[in-house]
Amino acid sequence: MFTLPQKDFSAPTTCLGPACMQDLGSSHGDDLEGECSRKLDQKLPELPGVGDSAMLSPDTSYLSSRGRMIKWFWDSAEEGYRTYHMDEYDENKNPSGIINLGVSENKLCFDLLSWRLSQSDMQRVEPSLLQYADWRGHLFLREEVAKFLSFYCKSPAPLRPENVVVLNGGASLFSALATVLCEAGEAFLIPTPYYGAITQHVCLYGNVRLACVYLDSEVRVLASQVEPGRACGQEFPESGLRVVHGVKVKGLILINPQNPLGDIYSPEELQEYLVFAKRHKLHVIVDEVYMLSVFEESVGYRSVLSLERLPDPQRTHVMWATSKDFGMSGLRFGTLYTENQDVATAVASLCRYHGLSGLVQYQMAQLLRDRDWINQVYLPENHARLKAAHTYVSEELRALGIPFLSRGAGFFIWVDLRKYLPKATFEEEMLLWRRFLDNKVLLSFGKAFECKEPGWFRFVFSDQAHRLCLGMQRVRQVLAGKSQVAEDPPPSQSQEPSDQCR
Amino acid sequence: MSHWSDTLPVPSGQRRDQVPRDHSIYPQLLEITLHLRQAMREHFVQLTSRQGLSLEERKHTQAIREKEALLSCLIRRMINLLQSKAASDLELQVPLPSEDSRGDVRYGERAQLSGQPDPVPQLSDCEAAFVSRDLSNRGIDISVFYQSSFQDYNAYQKDKYHKDKNTLGFINLGTSENKLCMDLMTERLQERDMNCIEDALLQYPDWRGQLFLREEVARFLTYYCRAPTQLDPENVVVLNGCCSVFSALAMVLCDPGEAFLVPAPFYSGFAFSSRLYAKVELIPVYLESEVTVTNTQPFQLTVDKLEEALLEARFEGKKVRGLVLINPQNPVGDIYSPDSLMKYLEFAKRYNLHVIIDEIYMLSVFDESIIFHSVLSMKSLPDRNRTHVIWGTSKDFGISGFRFGALYTHNKEVVSAVSAFGYLHSISGIVQHKLCQLLQNTEWIDKVYLPTNCYRLREAHKYITAKLKALEIPFHNSSSGLYVWINLKKYLDPCTFEEERLLYCRFLDNKLLLSRGKAYMCKEPGWFCLIFADELPRLKLAMCRFCDVLQEQKEALIVKQLEDAMRE
Repeated sequence: MFTLPQKDFSAPTTCLGPACMQDLGSSHGDDLEGECSRKLDQKLPELPGVGDSAMLSPDTSYLSSRGRMIKWFWDSAEEGYRTYHMDEYDENKNPSGIINLGVSENKLCFDLLSWRLSQSDMQRVEPSLLQYADWRGHLFLREEVAKFLSFYCKSPAPLRPENVVVLNGGASLFSALATVLCEAGEAFLIPTPYYGAITQHVCLYGNVRLACVYLDSEVRVLASQVEPGRACGQEFPESGLRVVHGVKVKGLILINPQNPLGDIYSPEELQEYLVFAKRHKLHVIVDEVYMLSVFEESVGYRSVLSLERLPDPQRTHVMWATSKDFGMSGLRFGTLYTENQDVATAVASLCRYHGLSGLVQYQMAQLLRDRDWINQVYLPENHARLKAAHTYVSEELRALGIPFLSRGAGFFIWVDLRKYLPKATFEEEMLLWRRFLDNKVLLSFGKAFECKEPGWFRFVFSDQAHRLCLGMQRVRQVLAGKSQVAEDPPPSQSQEPSDQCR
Repeated sequence: MSHWSDTLPVPSGQRRDQVPRDHSIYPQLLEITLHLRQAMREHFVQLTSRQGLSLEERKHTQAIREKEALLSCLIRRMINLLQSKAASDLELQVPLPSEDSRGDVRYGERAQLSGQPDPVPQLSDCEAAFVSRDLSNRGIDISVFYQSSFQDYNAYQKDKYHKDKNTLGFINLGTSENKLCMDLMTERLQERDMNCIEDALLQYPDWRGQLFLREEVARFLTYYCRAPTQLDPENVVVLNGCCSVFSALAMVLCDPGEAFLVPAPFYSGFAFSSRLYAKVELIPVYLESEVTVTNTQPFQLTVDKLEEALLEARFEGKKVRGLVLINPQNPVGDIYSPDSLMKYLEFAKRYNLHVIIDEIYMLSVFDESIIFHSVLSMKSLPDRNRTHVIWGTSKDFGISGFRFGALYTHNKEVVSAVSAFGYLHSISGIVQHKLCQLLQNTEWIDKVYLPTNCYRLREAHKYITAKLKALEIPFHNSSSGLYVWINLKKYLDPCTFEEERLLYCRFLDNKLLLSRGKAYMCKEPGWFCLIFADELPRLKLAMCRFCDVLQEQKEALIVKQLEDAMRE
């Protein structure tokens, strides 16, 4: 690990606390999809706004001060890209390359999806799809989304196409919502650990911060017996408000099923959080991007749209996308459902910048419409494969006596490797992560999710069996201390400490 | 009278007059303070707006400005305080976006201060009347700005002309879209090579754009821009549309409140892209239609004009970070010669300005006698690290619904910073594949698409200009783009922007959508932009409606003149 000239970073961005600066140059696994670690702590109110010029200010830069902050986001993620992409595992071409168990992607069902997307009904091209359209999304697609969500979220009444806005992915939706709901410098509460990329999404354009609501784990036993964060449902919002004393909090972000904990909120809990939000006049953004990736029937997942009565429907905004549930993160399709027409209209006003191709809109409508295929082919098969992969990894972990958390939803297991850290510090967490990478397996470390306790890692299991086995084998080697040191130093170490630090 | 543009749609929140009046003094205090501020501003404008000042007086003016800034700051603090109190008393946010202390650009105000015509629709009345519990101030601003600018377009989307199903629907000659080659594109996009579903296309992409596409874009631009050396895929960033590229550039090159110079009239989309997210001001460099000793051609851009605009802006304390050029120009249709382009670039270099060059119409030059010179064809750029080129397929290939725009810049810092927006402006992998296939097939482009497209553009242009000549309507553009820039001054009496707006509404009443000069920040009232890249039957019907309106307008003018005469 190289060190960074930290003093230059005294006030780099609005949403960064000093603690995460040490991670800057490192290529953490999740940066591949931008789950970079950004921290917001008590010092937050003193940090300057993005418009301030005091940060990272080499006079030689061609960029504006916010431009330099934005570039910093890219560079820190770029590091991860470089390491992985320079040495990607390929069964035939590069069998000693890096196995990626860090990025939350479902790679189990490409065969089914390619087949479906290659069917003749997908290939329609007509002039209206090639021209400017309604920026909210083509009506045919919004109608289909409304029907789809009504069915799969089990909404008590049919959902309405007017309440749907279609964009190019969940990231854009976070960005647009942050911009239209908050002023620059205001904040959303978010139960932490959380999917770290959201920090960047709400910050780039919106200059909105995230206020962490820390959930304590105290996991000492196996997953099935603990439910970190759940017991403290009542306290978390209050403590959250304390953390962000001095910053105006405009809303609460809930990810359900949760990422990275894989947790699912019960209807009662959900109701409780929504009532809390209503009491404090907070918007609630409920990200349900994993809602169809609940592979254990028994956990009884309920969408917020299934609730009989929402406490504050005008301030409840639901997100869904095909990235996870249909394993198509490269397709870039996301959608907002909100009864609040002001919010829908404001988000739609920004859709000029987050539009997706008419051809893809058509394909998505065809896909979502095909209820037979989804119900009879895709979902059962996808769930079976997820379950098998999950079973494999969790068995492996049990055999190693490693505690973990996972409740049968999502693509990942939240793994407690604290006993492998000589000291409970994030430096040690980083060193362990680096040893995994040196042994050619990419994971995400807890810091990238703003986890408070060092030593947690997220393992993504939704990959083909051969890659998964090899990945777990490499994990075992590292944990057993048998890892072979890579012949070459990892690329990111040999690079000049990224230029953003000048 | 037309109902189309008279009322701004406001999100369905409460209006201030519906808010139950509280006995609290804060709202009243707030109101008084706002009046005070207004009075102060007017006073300062009077103090500083005299022309032809000597150096001494300028210094004096500077001092006045500093005082003004100080007072503004104090008043702003007061208002913020009151605002929060008033809001909490009323349990509502009273959005007073103009008091945003974070440096957001307030266009109306700036225009007022500098004594220029409004660059964008004035919204302050509407904003002041609107109270929403749910949106942030900037959210309201975005929503209202968008709605006010696009309501007519949205009306068109809901009620489009169709030759069988909706013969009374709107015809749109206001949105710059090329609908002439839909047959070719539809056919091309249905070919076998277009449909490919690979695992890699369904996974998270490289956020700068997939390498295969960036390579293809580099190759394509090298060929069609006649670049002296091979362009580098590492200098390419691919996003979902040119407006996204522009928005991202504005974010990374400027801080909020900073500015770009843009020769006006100019493409209205830039006003959105600079305002909605980036809060960057566009300072118009006004070009004139009248030919004089210094202005040897209508709407001629000269370095003198650029320099003047820049110095004036600086004098007013604005921080100008760059110059935006559109080549071929939209809406005037001019093509910059290599010499003039070089002069503009050297000017920019002299003042350390970035230059954003939008060449989105580069392949839509339909006059064969004219050669377009891309900035990328230059042997050496005066300041290559500050020269950023935008191109996309929306216009040249008539596929605006595809959402594709590319940035080419030598500046690695800018490449990295813009790439960070890849998350928010990404393109589907499936579409990236199709685009790559499209751009790759140079043979089809050169032998089939471009000749046909140019021929059809030329024919449509010929038809429209013949009509315009018959009506004795002056116009510009005979060589490129999808539009003609027409002068309807003679139908306005008096020749004001208000009359321009009324005429625009009359076209709308007749189910014809055009763009008016004000949206392009034209300085002179009476100009309209007319998009001709549409199929002939629709074009014919549109011109019928166009003629009808002008005929009515003419008659109304005669009646008015008679009435005036009689009164005298």
